[in-house]
Amino acid sequence: MKKATVVWAILLAIFFVMGVGFPVWGADEIKIGVIGPMQFTQGEGHWNGATLAAEEINAKGGVQVENAWLPIKLVKVDSNEFLSIPDATNAIELAISRHDVDFLVGGFRTEAVLVMQDIAMDNKKIFMGCGAAHPKLCERVKEDYDTYKYWFRITPINSRYLVKVDFILLGMVAKIMAQQLNIPKVKVAIVAEKAVWADPIVGIAQKNLPKMGMEVVGVWRPSPVATDVTAELSAMQRSGAHIIFTTFSSSVGITFAKQWGELKVPAAAVGINVEAQKDGFWAATGGKGNYTLTINTYARVKITDTTIPFYDKYKKRFKEAPNYTAGTYDAIHMLVDAIERADSLDPDKVVPELEKTDKMDTAGHFVFDETHDVKWGPGFVTALGTQWQDGKNVCVWPLNWKGITYEGAVPYVVPPWVVEAYKK
Amino acid sequence: MGLLGFYLRKAYTLFKNQILVLPSRTAVLLFALALVCLPLFTRDPYLLRILIFTAIFAILAASWDLLSGFTGQMNFGHALFFGVGAYCTALLNLRLDFPPWISIPIGALGAVLTGLIVGIPCLRLRGTYLALTTLAFPIILMGVVFAIPDITGGELGISGIQRLSHSRVTDYYITTGLLLILGFVMWKITDSKTGILFHAIREDEVAVRASGINTTRYKLYAFCLSGFFAGIAGGLYAHIMRTAGPSTLEVALSFQIVIWAVFGGIVSIYGPVAGVFILYPLLEFLRILPKVRMLVFAFIVLLTLLYMPEGLIPWIRDHIEKECPRCKIRNVAFRKECRVCTARLD
Repeated sequence: MKKATVVWAILLAIFFVMGVGFPVWGADEIKIGVIGPMQFTQGEGHWNGATLAAEEINAKGGVQVENAWLPIKLVKVDSNEFLSIPDATNAIELAISRHDVDFLVGGFRTEAVLVMQDIAMDNKKIFMGCGAAHPKLCERVKEDYDTYKYWFRITPINSRYLVKVDFILLGMVAKIMAQQLNIPKVKVAIVAEKAVWADPIVGIAQKNLPKMGMEVVGVWRPSPVATDVTAELSAMQRSGAHIIFTTFSSSVGITFAKQWGELKVPAAAVGINVEAQKDGFWAATGGKGNYTLTINTYARVKITDTTIPFYDKYKKRFKEAPNYTAGTYDAIHMLVDAIERADSLDPDKVVPELEKTDKMDTAGHFVFDETHDVKWGPGFVTALGTQWQDGKNVCVWPLNWKGITYEGAVPYVVPPWVVEAYKK
Repeated sequence: MGLLGFYLRKAYTLFKNQILVLPSRTAVLLFALALVCLPLFTRDPYLLRILIFTAIFAILAASWDLLSGFTGQMNFGHALFFGVGAYCTALLNLRLDFPPWISIPIGALGAVLTGLIVGIPCLRLRGTYLALTTLAFPIILMGVVFAIPDITGGELGISGIQRLSHSRVTDYYITTGLLLILGFVMWKITDSKTGILFHAIREDEVAVRASGINTTRYKLYAFCLSGFFAGIAGGLYAHIMRTAGPSTLEVALSFQIVIWAVFGGIVSIYGPVAGVFILYPLLEFLRILPKVRMLVFAFIVLLTLLYMPEGLIPWIRDHIEKECPRCKIRNVAFRKECRVCTARLD
């Protein structure tokens, strides 16, 4: 009897040690914290993208780790980072210490993500950034690899590349207008909302446009929440601008596009207009935002084989097109691939596998550089240029750009009233 | 040995006659003891993080009370001192390698200087005009932050600052310890001759000036003192967050400080501290209602202030203690006679 008790005690001790020493044996699910401003559209994008990915993976039986199939469980974490940075840090601490998440995806406001990144790294949690574009986040990986190696950026592309795409789109439109309308020297009006993030773009534009063979006719800086920009539009019209180079992230993007269409200002609108990335843009401008061109991440275009199925599924399920924070979908798929290759949940084993990522996902061909930033360029992730054409936000770039054309992309259309005004 | 016994007896008598006689003081003692003992029972990093922030913001709210509650200099831009403290501390730590125990007090001196700079143009202003002017200062400084990104880090702020300490529990003891010490210092200031003059300036500045007191000097003194304590809070925040960004200067933070202080009860120092210790963890707790979190929070604050216009803590204090009509000493509510002058309390 006594002997049997001893045997039982040894067995129990062995099971206990196995449970503690090899967490995956004790784990019955993989917890992924989806962190973002959940009361805002950006956070919704995070959650929706992650939900679709988790459902797909779970439907296939889960993630295979050490001969076990583990389902994914998502934990929704509201960072409230637009309103409070301490709130964001509390949220990530909550996710790590209370919800005991294994991995993290999301983040949006760079100032908050920098702090959240520190907390995730302290806890050796892999954090897949899906929202903040600032290069600083990835530069930290290079500066202190051992500490920051658990950070990877999936979406959007680095802000330096975003600016590059912005100017590529401007160059494309300028070329088309010069050819179609016989304009010898294209004149550009720069309009950017009065916000700090837009300042460098304005500066670069003023410096670079003359080098690109264009003439800058003026700079206008309306309030990000302006409800009337007719004065600015009239001034732009008088300046003789052929193109209006836009930099908007706030509601002024709608006001501008609507009044631009109403006044039929004879200048094509191209650049960044975050409102124009959304499905509701057409209704919000009453269709007057037709022909607006903006940088985008998703459109119903075949970037890879998975883009259109994802786009359709997302739209069917959430009644809107995915925004770039829905890149959590790609992030989770990439993470799962790396876990399966590493055959472990140990972050130190998953990181080298993530570094080897070479995968065609919904936003393009994902490969990470040495700073764990997603590579940009032909053959990698490129971002898109999308234009509203009669109620549809269609992809117009890349189209024959360095050998890249996405199936479903259509040529850019110069607004008819602009053609009318300049056609000789 | 005999001397030690004398002092121990004296301390016991003081403890019995000065602290245990009043429920409010006993509650403060228990609160301090609970804070000190908490890590003995739990070391949950999430809980400790919340309490660290609570302690930092409690110092900030109490410093606002010192200026706006006691002296009546209504400051709607208190985040200015917090932000200056945070930025100065961050720069000293990052550029000059000053350790936190040096960078924080020197950073706070930066906030004192700011208090002086803000105080001087505000001397002639009162009420709404003063409030609006103070509101403008953090906005101006935010403009400066964005204008010189090479120094301030622009919209990202300054990151990579040294940790306050290498363990969460030590961070907790540093912040809560400083709260208890600085809270006590602030309370003693308000109880001193200077504190009485702050009171008097708020009640009737002309009368104080007519008594031959240089009110200008005292008002500037209040701005500088308040700036110092808020600057310490800012410095602690920078080392805990390891970043000092524009969010430390946001208007929303300035208003949050006012909400915390008014909710707890102004002109008391401990009221704003209690306000933060109730409201900050409450907001965290309300994460269980993500959709209506801010709504419920606002509703609770509104309801409390509707029924307790002087703040929660004065309301509770007035229900458990009463003031002697003759000598103005406070007594526990169930006493029939004053503990000092034996006057009837009913």
